[in-house]
Amino acid sequence: MNLLVVILIQASFYALLGMGYVLIYRATRVLNLAHGDLMVFGAYLFFQALAMSGGSLPLAIVAAALGAALLGALVYLGVMRPLASYPVAVGVLATIALGLVLRTIVTLIWSAQTRYPAELLGRSGRPIALFAGVSVSLIDTLIIAAAIAAIVGFPLLLRLSTVGIEMRGVAENAVLAAQRGINIHRINAMSWAAATVMAAVAGIFFSIKSRLGPDIWYVGLAGFAPALIGGMDSLRGVLIGAVIVAAAEVLAALYIAPQVALAAPFLVLLVALWIRPWGIFGSREELERI
Amino acid sequence: MSARGLPSTLRTDFRDDVQLLDSGFVRFWAAMALLIALILPLVLTNFWTGVANQVLIAVVGALALNLLMGTTGQISLGHAGFVAAGAFTVAALIAHVDAPIGVTLPAAAVVGAVLGVLVGLPALRLKGLYLAVSTLAAHFVIIVGVGQYQSAISYGSGFTIPAPSIFGLEIGSERAWYFVLLPIALGAILLNLNWLRSAYGRAWMAIRHRDVAAEALGINVALYKLLAFSASTSLTCVAGALWAYHTAFVSVEAFEFDMLIQYLAMVIIGGLGSVLGTCLGAVFVVVLPHVISILADRIPFLSGLGGKSFDLQVGVFGAAMLLFLIMEPRGLAGIWARVRFYFQLWPFKYRAWES
Repeated sequence: MNLLVVILIQASFYALLGMGYVLIYRATRVLNLAHGDLMVFGAYLFFQALAMSGGSLPLAIVAAALGAALLGALVYLGVMRPLASYPVAVGVLATIALGLVLRTIVTLIWSAQTRYPAELLGRSGRPIALFAGVSVSLIDTLIIAAAIAAIVGFPLLLRLSTVGIEMRGVAENAVLAAQRGINIHRINAMSWAAATVMAAVAGIFFSIKSRLGPDIWYVGLAGFAPALIGGMDSLRGVLIGAVIVAAAEVLAALYIAPQVALAAPFLVLLVALWIRPWGIFGSREELERI
Repeated sequence: MSARGLPSTLRTDFRDDVQLLDSGFVRFWAAMALLIALILPLVLTNFWTGVANQVLIAVVGALALNLLMGTTGQISLGHAGFVAAGAFTVAALIAHVDAPIGVTLPAAAVVGAVLGVLVGLPALRLKGLYLAVSTLAAHFVIIVGVGQYQSAISYGSGFTIPAPSIFGLEIGSERAWYFVLLPIALGAILLNLNWLRSAYGRAWMAIRHRDVAAEALGINVALYKLLAFSASTSLTCVAGALWAYHTAFVSVEAFEFDMLIQYLAMVIIGGLGSVLGTCLGAVFVVVLPHVISILADRIPFLSGLGGKSFDLQVGVFGAAMLLFLIMEPRGLAGIWARVRFYFQLWPFKYRAWES
């Protein structure tokens, strides 16, 4: 039972990260290799807000989310928008460069020292015992709630709200959407902002559960595994991808070795790319046979 | 030949189109560059000669990456892994059979060629994003593989490479290395220039522009993609082998993600697809960290950052890559071309043709 809960928590973490990859991919057709660094940046914003507000969790989360949204929109407008007409590879390279710049900014502002935001939280970070030996901490509940909200809420938003419909239109055919009077840059900036907020929430979770340092970006990078397994342009695919990756990681840590768990997302990804390169629900347009 | 050394617009023979030194301007600067390259080690201190040697090795490796990414348009994120493969081929041959450099360098080239075919096979089906992911996977597979080999053979500590000797002469000093590496780098430059002006280069560039159209023109796309991967990886492994000899020590830690980013920075900052640009990019990327650390010592504002000069380096690479991608996608080569045409055309502003 406890194992299932652990997998659920880990899957929520991956679902949030993976949805960020999918949102950005749908908006700009780019595999965002800077996502891990966006996650780290969001987590540091949270840490800063937490330190300044004297340990108030809600205030810090809201401040970090606002900061992350601003960062995401700025990244789109400053970096991705000028590269819109270039080949996909250029965009991917640009996100690598962006990741380096973000990592340097983080190190210069907050230093490379490892921090533990959980210490600032005090009691609210402690696990709460539930039924049958299952214990869940407040932050675990929050991450599950955030993931469920994102998984349920986002498709609803895409289906029902005007912004959501415009987002789908841009993802489907940006040129047609622009001709119908949709401001595609506003919509794409919003996609980037939403993805960065999700990354920040995942980063907040990880920094409280484990630690915070500029080097945790690779944890965020592992989030592209669920996105690719599920299909880069499919939101519901991420959910399944996240569960698969989380289960593989938790089970590998338990039954094989903790070191294998680190590589587990990539191993699963390799197998998935082998069998079904376009993902479970992804569209096959990117592949071709000569 | 027209005035001011511009390449002639009137060409009466296809041979004019593929000339290497097609104008007085190019001839003059090629001669100057060669002259400077020959005088350089006599002027530089031992430390800076070592830096120049690193540049020469980087030129070979970056040209290989440029062949793949710039000329053929196939993204590769496995470059550091291929450099590692070359370096470890040398290490393994020396550790097991004590092979001389005359054997290890060709062996590295062959290993690279085979590796290129293996990695290139998925590239026949994958494009863009998926090719990036699969070459990145190749990077991790190679790094894990050579890491396992290293811990099995050398108990994890790495391999010491003795100084090689060519025709009985031991290459020990940095200055001796310079005169070994310079012809190799020049050879790599000539090789790439020749590829570009031959049927191979034209086929690769056609694939870069549109592979379906290239196929329709009768180019065997699968064959030429594999050839590009194979040639690029082979050259990369040679660079890795030279790196191993020059550094005199091979350990898997040197080939992490940072090395890949350095090579990507070289071809992007230099200008994708341009041989001259790639060389300029290699100089820029190898020399920049030393300039930053010198500046960090001299300038009071930067010296406050103290131990962060490595982070600063990484950030400057990233920022430079971003700026070039957004503002000058043709890289240093593009800037050079613009400056060159400005002076050649002066007092006129525009030229009527694209060269």
